[in-house]
Amino acid sequence: MSTRQREPLIFEQSVPGKRGMDLPPLDVPPPRDTRAAHLRRRDFGILPSVSEVDVIRHFTRMSHWNYGVDDGIYPLGSCTMKHNPRLNEKAAALPGFTDCHPMAPDELAQGNLELIYTLQEWLKEITGLPGITLQPSAGAAGELTGVMLIRAYHVSRGAARRIILIPDSAHGTNPATAAMAGYEVLEVASGPDGTISFTDLDEGGKTRRGLNSLLAEFGPEVAGLMVTNPNTLGVFEQAIQEVADALHAVGALMYMDGANMNALVGVARPGDFGVDVMHLNLHKTFSTPHGGGGPGSGPVACSAALEPFLPVPVVRRDTRRVGEGEVETHTYRWDWDRPKSIGKVHTYHGNFGMLVRALAYCLSHGADGLKQATLRAIVNANYIRARLSGTYHLPIQSPTLHEVVFSDTRQAAHDVHTLDIAKRLIDCGFHPPTVYFPLIVPGAIMIEPTESESKAELDAFCEAMLTIAREAETDPELLHQAPTTAPLRRLDETTAARRPVLRWRSPETT
Amino acid sequence: MRYLPSAPAEDRALLETIGVRNAEELLGGIPDRLRLGRELALPPHASEQEVAWEMGRLSARNARFCAQFLGAGAYDHFVPAAVDAQIGRQEWFTAYTPYQPEISQGTLQHIFEYQTLIADLAGLDVSNASLYDGGTACVEAALMAVRVQKKRRTVLVSRGLHPFYRQVLATAFAPHQELRLVELPLAAGGTEPADLAAALHEDVAAVLVGYPNFLGSVEDLTALGEVAHGRGALLVSVTQEPFALGWLEAPGRAGADMACGEAMSFGNKLNYGGPYLGFLAVRDSHKREIPGRVVGQTVDLEGRTGYVLTLTAREQHIRRDKATSNICSNQGLAALRANIFLQLAGPQGLAGLAELNAAKAQFLRSRLLELPDFEPVFDRPFFNEFVLRYHGDVATLREACLRESLLPGLDLGPWYPELEGCLLWCATELHTRGMIESVVEVAARVPSLNREGA
Repeated sequence: MSTRQREPLIFEQSVPGKRGMDLPPLDVPPPRDTRAAHLRRRDFGILPSVSEVDVIRHFTRMSHWNYGVDDGIYPLGSCTMKHNPRLNEKAAALPGFTDCHPMAPDELAQGNLELIYTLQEWLKEITGLPGITLQPSAGAAGELTGVMLIRAYHVSRGAARRIILIPDSAHGTNPATAAMAGYEVLEVASGPDGTISFTDLDEGGKTRRGLNSLLAEFGPEVAGLMVTNPNTLGVFEQAIQEVADALHAVGALMYMDGANMNALVGVARPGDFGVDVMHLNLHKTFSTPHGGGGPGSGPVACSAALEPFLPVPVVRRDTRRVGEGEVETHTYRWDWDRPKSIGKVHTYHGNFGMLVRALAYCLSHGADGLKQATLRAIVNANYIRARLSGTYHLPIQSPTLHEVVFSDTRQAAHDVHTLDIAKRLIDCGFHPPTVYFPLIVPGAIMIEPTESESKAELDAFCEAMLTIAREAETDPELLHQAPTTAPLRRLDETTAARRPVLRWRSPETT
Repeated sequence: MRYLPSAPAEDRALLETIGVRNAEELLGGIPDRLRLGRELALPPHASEQEVAWEMGRLSARNARFCAQFLGAGAYDHFVPAAVDAQIGRQEWFTAYTPYQPEISQGTLQHIFEYQTLIADLAGLDVSNASLYDGGTACVEAALMAVRVQKKRRTVLVSRGLHPFYRQVLATAFAPHQELRLVELPLAAGGTEPADLAAALHEDVAAVLVGYPNFLGSVEDLTALGEVAHGRGALLVSVTQEPFALGWLEAPGRAGADMACGEAMSFGNKLNYGGPYLGFLAVRDSHKREIPGRVVGQTVDLEGRTGYVLTLTAREQHIRRDKATSNICSNQGLAALRANIFLQLAGPQGLAGLAELNAAKAQFLRSRLLELPDFEPVFDRPFFNEFVLRYHGDVATLREACLRESLLPGLDLGPWYPELEGCLLWCATELHTRGMIESVVEVAARVPSLNREGA
């Protein structure tokens, strides 16, 4: 490891004449210059001149300042930071996959088409929904695709409708998605445990609308509802079937955000409890790595009624029986003849490399392993809940599944807040949980350990949390100052936003 | 199951602490009638070896080629070993979005450098941390232009834009009755300023043109920009082959107000279409309307330089339905590949690669044109892709090439009916003279419909 606390920007390391790439000699005549004079590249601005050694050391040193899931528990709630199996990385790097052009003729990409078809079959069985596309690039892209399917469905029946209902406990991508799909968002009140409220709730004289009154007033204008199940507090929507029934009664559809599907795989299927369309996050539930912010993959599964609207193309399997023994052989092809399709949502076939990893994950686990993983994820979260709930305030008493949300209520008495607790965890060697989300719990500390964590790692994390709670009482300043052992102390985010410096500029030009 | 940390004694201890006898008891929150009352109808778990064999079998079902002359938005370029080696570090690929800056400075500094490189290559001021791919980058650019331009509601899109980009745009615009997406025609493989002038009106927010376009032609951003700006519209350049930016003037300096497109060419593999790398660069005055993650420089409590996610007031987790986009996860690791690639290439590498690409494509074109069945369709400057009409049978030519493990250029008929019988050819630094000669040789052997008078 490097203990250097600062690595200059690569631009500051540039020395004219150095190079990090040698090219093969030109074995054809030099190009004629057909460019118009004003369209000729004049210079390469700030591109650095550095050697390969410089580049490797630069990135290696910077990498030492990152925390990864291989470093230990990464308990970001709703992010499902589970182990990234190395087999999956190896599989995705096979040249047969990496060197295949997205517009290669179908008969020359049979392996990819079979892989896509097979993964779709797994995900259809897991979700209990018969239609699917793997094209969306990430969860938010999946949401947008799903809401567009809802819209196309309504348009085919006369009108797009105007409104999407979203509980106030939802992830911010839900309302942002509804707006991008041309819908107006109306918020549905959720009860104290984050589950959808059928009745209106009165809060200090201010009425928050429940599902019943919203549907009574806007029913024919409601296109659908977006619900995360289990919700962002880790609580399963007990009345999910009743919510679906109420929506269906007015012709509206139910979208499920599958961000928390890690709590359900092998245990319950959205298609069995009234969901019409949903997305999965392969980079959460199916272990594809987060890559410091992507790439993800957000497949969308849907009901038979929505299937005709799926993005083009969809993969088809043709089966032939050959010979006396009638051996089945399969060939695969893209079907572009989909007159009702919403169109394309990705330039090609989505983040295919992530699909390779997700299928390797599925095959490795199998039906039995997938269910075991779900149960273990739930056990791990409940173990943390059991160990910490005597010390940290647990705002929701309902049973929780794969994650648990605490708040800083008790520590706030000592002027220690969620952010301080999170930063102190860094000093203890852990990545902090998700903080200040969901918005309905003030000072939320949202912990999702996933099934990857052993008892020893869970204990170490819990011990750190308990120690921090003691420190909050005895030495709050220690927490206010945290972190002190990371490469940097707390950063000034206000100035960063007020006077944004979003790129490096050469001192000579500024 | 090798990925689960189960051990009987420890499992019991966990359950005891929780106060349940078995894990199923913890499912109490899920009503019985909503549970799956059976096992999933899927195969059982498999060993690492078995899964490795299966993935090997699938990958081997894809054809491998000696050379691919197909580009069309996805380009086969050399990826230096240093890129793969660095990407394989867990610190990069197993980390999450850098929400906790104190332990994410690696990712944050990398993104700051990436933003600098993309903004500079584009000749503009600000880049975001990445978007999904070329098609969705066009969507984000078009929607951003509409926001920036306030009351203007029409976006003009050149027919020279990648057909799939146009399809992705059409999908995204369909829900917005108030917005209009209008196609600009092509004339001789390019977008004519006169056609643009005829299509412009007071409601046009932006014009999207390829640079180079899907047919390989280098559009004259300067001429188009003058026309667009004359009517108050923004010019958005869309680059699907960013190696061209080592050959052509930066879009922002040539006349574009925004630059977007696909940057997979920088250090990423073909991967059957993804993960790829959407990019977007804009002028400083528009920075608060940019979609997606943006990293900024700041200082810590002790005044040391550091980096954070910034301008978050634009984003979905703060603004919810008023956000500039719904994007959350982006293409971080693909951007890291691009960053490493560009640093290795440096100014000499990028210029050299551009020259190699231009030279190979020109050589392929001139050799094909020596054959009687190939003919130019238009004569515009191009970079590493070009269109030729083929007077033989395209399917026969394709079969002949495939027999020799050569993937020929794209048959344009399905995408541009007016170019039926034309192929879009691509050559890059990966094509040796020998490979180019072999595809020309194969083409020369295909029975000529011309010569046989058919």
